[in-house]
Amino acid sequence: MPTSDLSPYVQIEGLVAQYDGRTILDGISLDAYRGEITVVLGSSGCGKTTLLRHIVGLLTPTAGRVLIDGHDFHQANEEERENILRNVGMSFQGGALFNSMTLEENIALPIIEHTKTDQETARMLARMKLSLVGLERAAHLLPATISGGMKKRAAVARALALDPTLLLFDELSAGLDPITARELDELVLRLKEQLSMTIIIVTHELGSIQMIADRAVMLDAGRVLAAGPLDEVRQTDHPQIRAFFDRRPRPTTLQGGLLDTLLVKGEQHGTEST
Amino acid sequence: MGKMGPYKPARLIHGIPGFRWLMRAGKRTTHILEQHGSGTSQTSPQILSLVREHTRQIERAPSGSQHILDLGEVPRLKGLEVAALLRLVQQGKDRGVTVRFIGLSAQAQQAFTGLDTSILDQSGQLPAKLSFMEYVGEQTLDAATTGRRLLEMVGELAYWLFLAPWRGKGIKWDRTVEQIVKIGVDGVPIVTFLSFLIGAVLALNAASQLRQFGATIYIANLVAVSMTREMAPLITAIIVAGRSGSAITAELGTMVVSEEIDAMQTMALSPGRFLLLPRILALLCAVPCLTVLSNLTGVFGGYWIGVILLGLGSRNYLQQTGQALLMIDLVTGMVKSLVFALLIGLVACYRGFYVHGGAEGVGTNTTASVVASIVLCILADAVFTTIFFYLT
Repeated sequence: MPTSDLSPYVQIEGLVAQYDGRTILDGISLDAYRGEITVVLGSSGCGKTTLLRHIVGLLTPTAGRVLIDGHDFHQANEEERENILRNVGMSFQGGALFNSMTLEENIALPIIEHTKTDQETARMLARMKLSLVGLERAAHLLPATISGGMKKRAAVARALALDPTLLLFDELSAGLDPITARELDELVLRLKEQLSMTIIIVTHELGSIQMIADRAVMLDAGRVLAAGPLDEVRQTDHPQIRAFFDRRPRPTTLQGGLLDTLLVKGEQHGTEST
Repeated sequence: MGKMGPYKPARLIHGIPGFRWLMRAGKRTTHILEQHGSGTSQTSPQILSLVREHTRQIERAPSGSQHILDLGEVPRLKGLEVAALLRLVQQGKDRGVTVRFIGLSAQAQQAFTGLDTSILDQSGQLPAKLSFMEYVGEQTLDAATTGRRLLEMVGELAYWLFLAPWRGKGIKWDRTVEQIVKIGVDGVPIVTFLSFLIGAVLALNAASQLRQFGATIYIANLVAVSMTREMAPLITAIIVAGRSGSAITAELGTMVVSEEIDAMQTMALSPGRFLLLPRILALLCAVPCLTVLSNLTGVFGGYWIGVILLGLGSRNYLQQTGQALLMIDLVTGMVKSLVFALLIGLVACYRGFYVHGGAEGVGTNTTASVVASIVLCILADAVFTTIFFYLT
């Protein structure tokens, strides 16, 4: 669990994101520590993906800033940006694989472009990354011909291609069978322990959270509800956090506000009229 | 029926079996709906026809009146029925008529679980209509955004073409060649075929006119000059815009929609270097080449008509063509084709990179891409022809 002498690798300070007048993120501040797994939680639509997109610099903050290893992506020049990004691997929700390339080519592409290796070595490395996620047999398939879960795993392999120091996974185990999900969890733990990568994961799987998370951040409507070591967050008695960890659905009233206004009070009208 | 509490029976609506409508005397009218019999056969058409009937009632009802629907015998409500009832409430609200329900069974109430009164608000349904000035302002802002993005794209192109190669990031020739094959080589058959036809058609049309003056040999001049200066560049541009411009927009647009472009950026692979520049370079290379091909086959089309159909004599025709063609004609055509290539490329890539709205957005932008590039090419052609007319 979290060790004490860690320094934050990713620092987010007062991040605000507004698009078309909608506020998606409303002053988010959080740190992700070196060599730790930070899990981002929250119901769908609360801004988790937007947060990840800000970390990799795909979106420009309306206010606030994001620092990766002390560098602000949006203040950096072309070369610095490339250096930041070379140390970041991200897997998208839908995989976002290049559809015109085989899985192997997909993973070999960043390797060929960012290192001076020859094609064959790059392809070997790509196959190594694919076997990490159990896809070594699918290396020559095109993304369109494989299942959603396989795409997701291939995307994880591609995020690992350059052995980044920061890994971002959007919905890592959503839609995967329990065994594959478990394998990915173990892979993530191994990456953390062996390569001391900093990992930020958006996930909903409680089991996975218990197993891998060092820290948890709970978002709600663009704000941080709670952040800190997993045990601390788990013990917070905020009703929404409690509901999440105890798997309680949002309270729904049988007679919502609507029915109260629409019903004529006093059933005797109805009974009398018949 | 005699004991009605606050309500008095008013009238019976026929045609809706099992329902009785009661109207309360006075200004505040209340319609009560009841159902006779067991009520177990309650089906959605009956509820829906009831709602329709009530809608008509509400339209006639004075503002401030109240309608009460007795749903006492309804065992359960389906989604569509609830929606119809809520719509009735909403319509009543618009006309100042209060619609309320009575006697809903516990099971029927389940259908309203979790619904909030906000569902009745119509706000946000209709977009606010813009005034003329607002409309003009919005269009201007849109145009400004488009202009800025196009300029950014040109800047990006210039960077990856002129600056980046000196910083160790060379042009992606393999991808460029791949595109040249797609745009140029694969386009050879259709460009050849259409240019030949255009050349032949030009010759035939000219023949019917020139024959009257016994000047049929000048068909060679006409075909050669109009093909090289005008028809070949334009025909090629239109074919390329339709074949490759649309393909580029659709491909890039799909990549945007499936987050492939985002993924590239997170891998520090610039879309400008990997996607934009190869396509523009490929167009700048392929379109002039196709234009040369179009020149040749177009002239050959004229030659074919002239020699085979009009019996002009092969050597005569070729000699006449050689005399008619000036270097300036060929150069004009080539300059045009380069400009057309750039226009098609910029429009197609711009439309592709700025797709939004999923699959439908890709379709819309692909159409817009082809239309815009053809319009721009013909506009540019008109400008060029005017300029060359005064220059020479």
